[in-house]
Amino acid sequence: MPYIELKNVCKEYKMGEITIKALNNTNFTIEKGELVVVVGPSGAGKTTALNILGGMDSVTSGDVIVDGKNIAKLKNRELTKYRREDIGFVFQFYNLVQNLTAIENVELATQICKDSLDLDDVMEKVGLRDRKNNFPSQLSGGEQQRVAIARAIAKNPKLLLCDEPTGALDYKTGKQILKLLQDTSRKENMTVIIITHNAAIAPMADKIIRFKNGTAESIEINENPVPVENIEW
Amino acid sequence: MKVKKALLKDTFKEITRTYKRFISILLMALLGVGFFAGLRASSPDMVDSIDSYYKNQNVYDIQVMSTLGLTNDDINAISQIENVESVYGTYSRDGIIKTNEKEIVSKILCIDDVNIAVLVEGNMPQNEDECVVERNFLIGTDKKIGDYIEIEPEKTEEEETEYLKNKKLKIVGVVDSPLYISRERGSTKLGTGTINYFIYVSKENVNSEVYTEIYVKLKDSNKYKTASNKYEDYVEETKDKIEEIKEERENARYEELINEANDEIAKSEEEFNTQKQDAETQILDAENKINDGKKQIEDGEAEIASNEAKANKEFADAEAQIKNAKAEIESNTTELNNRKQEAEEGFKQAENQKAELQETLNNLNFAISGIDSSIANKQNELQTAEDEETKYKLEQEIIVLQATKQGYESNKQSIEAGITEIDTQISSGKAELEKAETQLNNAKAELEKQEEQLEKTKKSTYSQISEAKEELESSKKEIADAEAELETSKAEFNTKIEEAEGKLIDAKEQVAEIEKAEWYILDRQQNAGYASFIQDTKSVENISIVFPIVFFAIAALVSLTSMTRMVEEQRQEIGTLKSLGYNKFHIILKYLIYSSLACIIGGIIGMNIGFQLLPRIIWDMYEMMYTLPKFIVSFNHQYSSTGLGLIYICIVGATLYSILKELKDTPANLLRPKAPKYGKRVLLERITFIWKRLNFSQKVTIRNIFRYKKRFLMTIVGILGCTSLILAGFGIKDSISSILPNQYEDIFNYDIQVSLKTTLTSEQINSYIEELGQKEEIQNILETYMVSGTSAKDEQSETVQIIVPKEKNEIDQTIKLRDVKTKEKFELSEDGVIITDKLSELIGAKVGDTIKLTTSDDEEAEIKVVGITENYVSHYVYMSKELYEKSYGKEYSTNVLMLQDNNLTEEQENSLMQEIVAKNEVSTVTLTATTMKTLDDTMNSLNYVVVILIVSAGLLAFVVLYNLSNINISERIRELATIKVLGFYDKEVYDYVTRETILLTLIGILFGLIAGYFLNSYILGTCEINILRFEKVVKPISYVYATAITIVFSIIVNIVTYFALKKIDMIGSLKSVE
Repeated sequence: MPYIELKNVCKEYKMGEITIKALNNTNFTIEKGELVVVVGPSGAGKTTALNILGGMDSVTSGDVIVDGKNIAKLKNRELTKYRREDIGFVFQFYNLVQNLTAIENVELATQICKDSLDLDDVMEKVGLRDRKNNFPSQLSGGEQQRVAIARAIAKNPKLLLCDEPTGALDYKTGKQILKLLQDTSRKENMTVIIITHNAAIAPMADKIIRFKNGTAESIEINENPVPVENIEW
Repeated sequence: MKVKKALLKDTFKEITRTYKRFISILLMALLGVGFFAGLRASSPDMVDSIDSYYKNQNVYDIQVMSTLGLTNDDINAISQIENVESVYGTYSRDGIIKTNEKEIVSKILCIDDVNIAVLVEGNMPQNEDECVVERNFLIGTDKKIGDYIEIEPEKTEEEETEYLKNKKLKIVGVVDSPLYISRERGSTKLGTGTINYFIYVSKENVNSEVYTEIYVKLKDSNKYKTASNKYEDYVEETKDKIEEIKEERENARYEELINEANDEIAKSEEEFNTQKQDAETQILDAENKINDGKKQIEDGEAEIASNEAKANKEFADAEAQIKNAKAEIESNTTELNNRKQEAEEGFKQAENQKAELQETLNNLNFAISGIDSSIANKQNELQTAEDEETKYKLEQEIIVLQATKQGYESNKQSIEAGITEIDTQISSGKAELEKAETQLNNAKAELEKQEEQLEKTKKSTYSQISEAKEELESSKKEIADAEAELETSKAEFNTKIEEAEGKLIDAKEQVAEIEKAEWYILDRQQNAGYASFIQDTKSVENISIVFPIVFFAIAALVSLTSMTRMVEEQRQEIGTLKSLGYNKFHIILKYLIYSSLACIIGGIIGMNIGFQLLPRIIWDMYEMMYTLPKFIVSFNHQYSSTGLGLIYICIVGATLYSILKELKDTPANLLRPKAPKYGKRVLLERITFIWKRLNFSQKVTIRNIFRYKKRFLMTIVGILGCTSLILAGFGIKDSISSILPNQYEDIFNYDIQVSLKTTLTSEQINSYIEELGQKEEIQNILETYMVSGTSAKDEQSETVQIIVPKEKNEIDQTIKLRDVKTKEKFELSEDGVIITDKLSELIGAKVGDTIKLTTSDDEEAEIKVVGITENYVSHYVYMSKELYEKSYGKEYSTNVLMLQDNNLTEEQENSLMQEIVAKNEVSTVTLTATTMKTLDDTMNSLNYVVVILIVSAGLLAFVVLYNLSNINISERIRELATIKVLGFYDKEVYDYVTRETILLTLIGILFGLIAGYFLNSYILGTCEINILRFEKVVKPISYVYATAITIVFSIIVNIVTYFALKKIDMIGSLKSVE
């Protein structure tokens, strides 16, 4: 039994009289500790899938099994609990709380979580030990994204979901972030799913899922993932 | 033009898209303008209403009253004055109506063409025996239209005729009177001293020589609004002119009365003299009559004596005569008897002779009959004999026989004659005897009769005599009675004369005592109902100035935040437009139109609602105190344009400010998303020992609070406004409700105030006070001299009551004289007066200053102020007896008593009061309880202000908080979505946001309580009535109320926020670039 499994997941949005099918009968599985890269053009449904997986959106039909639990059937409050305990999110635009220092942003997540990691350890891990007391405005984009990652992993989630984590970053910084994510997956044996439109980074993944027209068109298992340092794009 | 069209279209789209924001600005404008216009219009509307009422009912402009009544001459004199249109003389009098064992004191007014009563129900009186009553009369007395009442008008001493021709009156209708628009009916000398109701009777029913009041209507007064400065100046001008003829008319009336009285005295003197003479002659007559009577009695006695003697003699003579006559009759009787005996013997002889003769006769008759038979036989034989000789023989024999017979026959005749003679002799003898006897008997009877007659005469004569004697006796008694009567009559006469003389002297004295007439020239301001109504309109006006300021301030703040937010949101659009080459004006136009539309639409709706609603609400409240037929609500252009203008400046000004600020930036910068506000350390973080102790969420909260300074300010100001309004509301209530207990339970300790009549001598006063002092119900009496007057310093003057206690040391038990703050007691001294605090404030007199005190008798004195004492109602000046006598050169005399009773119940107090008021020495009695009740009614009206305050504070709080919460959410939506994604439960998200709000609310409340304290003082200061001093103190419980109510409002808003937060769309919010 796979760690994560999407079975016949459909998601429809109603825009007035038109119904848009964001996801159309999507199926894929992910194993625990896998680093998954989801690629595909804009509007292919990858973000929708990620949102559903992250408990931020509901499905129209189908099942989403995460660690034996069908989250498609969860109620609002249970979904919140799921997000709170099992999921770490990293966004393109970091979404840090501007009014909180780096470490406080991380603390924002850990204070509501039962078995969170030690704050300083996490800051150490993301390489921000010295800047932990800075406000987001005092940090560079890469640093901000590191804080966001720290915030996501500090909760010790089952699943780390990253939506275009390098989208707003320059090449070098982006690479560093991806390295951090890959390392996290490897070292902590954390299941990490990265969404990107940049197919070039796909080789770093254990599994590559390609989206097209609202469905997972192909699922490819990469027997030999390449360390991020070695990928060029 | 195309450009503009596109812009307009964009603007309207913007409005539909952000309708919530539009509505919130609109709502602020609505509230601001509505409250401003509505509140400001309330007072003019109230004035308009009474103005139109007074104009319709032809209510007087000037009222003239005189202590000696007013005459047609007075009316004529006033009519001559310039500007006077019409002058009405009319009557009014207090009277007592007895119903259901209750005594009701009523003002009896006349139906007239001035101050026309408004018919509410039924008819106006058509006949002399009809009346109309006020609304409450029927409720208070359980009477109906058609019932009869009996009224006893107050009687003045000199009045001889009844004031009303008909005292039994039929109630035919119910009216309102423009003279009594409040519940105050004035005071009276009757009953409990308070007038309960007014009634109207027809003028024809009144029987009075003089008018009690003259009402003057001025030519142009209807052109001005009542109570306006123009109106008052106009009336004042004419009042001054009446003032000019006042003295002349007063004197004229005085002379008239004096002359009348003197005439009357002369007349009654004359009458008295003639009556005295009459009485004296009558007495003389009576005396003469008595003397005559006495003489007559004496004469009568003499006559009776002589008559008696005469009668005695006469009767004696008569009796002697009868005696003689009786003796004669006696002898005659004896003689008669003798003659009778003799006659009897004679008769017997005659009888014997007769009997002898009879025998002879009988023999003769026998012989004759034998012859007859022999003749018969011979004849028979002749007849039978046939021979002639036998026949002849026989014939011869018969002839012989017949001759014998003839012899016999002649014998018989002589014998028979003898017998007859004897019979005749006997019968004549007998007749003679009988005759004699009869004669004797007759004489006897005659005598007896005479005797009887004599007896009768005697009896009657004697009875006559005794009767006469008796009569004489009674006459004697009568005379004695008459004499006694005369004595008493004389005595009576003397006392009456004395009395009459005394009265004449009194009357003369009274004439001398007739006080000069005094005219009172009054205007509407002296009508209690009107004056308090106008005063109330002033209070409303004052309050209507304070309130809207708060609203405008908050409206400005709310729109500033809203519009700033809107401009920020549209930063990119502004940038685009700017880069496209639109000039500033075109860009601004959108926001200008947006905010102007919200402002104008809201303002117009607001003023329409405000003009209709608020004056009505305020009127609804005042209506409980005043009876006005119709409340006029008008659309006031001045207030509506001012209100709209002010709110326009606030809202559009705020908009312009935020847009211009933004426009300063370059298009390039504008096109980039605005750099998020940097996080900053707050000051508190530097105080590590506190910061360390805070938990994470507290830290976050504190940092957030300082981050959004505008919102921070607004929340605090909004809550502050709300709390302070509510606190001010309750504070006003506290202040108002403490006035009466402070004044009448703490400062003044008396329960009953008794005014004595001014005519009393000091002995009368003293004995009355002694009498009062013996009453068990009364604990303490303070004797004072009280006089009203004015107290002035420089240009400022106020009406005051001057109180002079008889014993300066005794005042303390009844009236507390003490410092407002230190509560230190003051002692009255000869050095100066103690004045009340409000008075000191109003005329600006401090300790050491000299004030001019003028009493109502126009006596002036300049006196130093030595103390300022705590006081809440009216103005008082206290001075010692010594100071009074020294300053005014007049002797002290008690005229007002302040009584403390032994904790009587209301009923006991009332009966005590009636007992006191019935006394001759007493002029009026006032119960402190009644005074309190009356004032309480007035003050209750201010409670409504509190309700308005609280309701508007609530509205304000709601609008502000709701708006804030909306801005808060929209401004921080990304942050909130993030924490939602992080897995915060709804409750935690809500806490995350509202923790700040709660803290800010608490800070707002804290500041609000402080601001409320000052607002309360300010409002009390502006709406303070001249004669009242509000203690600017807020009770602790009011702080609790204000806090609790504000919290309730914020909880309501927070509930709304909770659901708004729940709806936040995480995905949508996080998608966009910040």
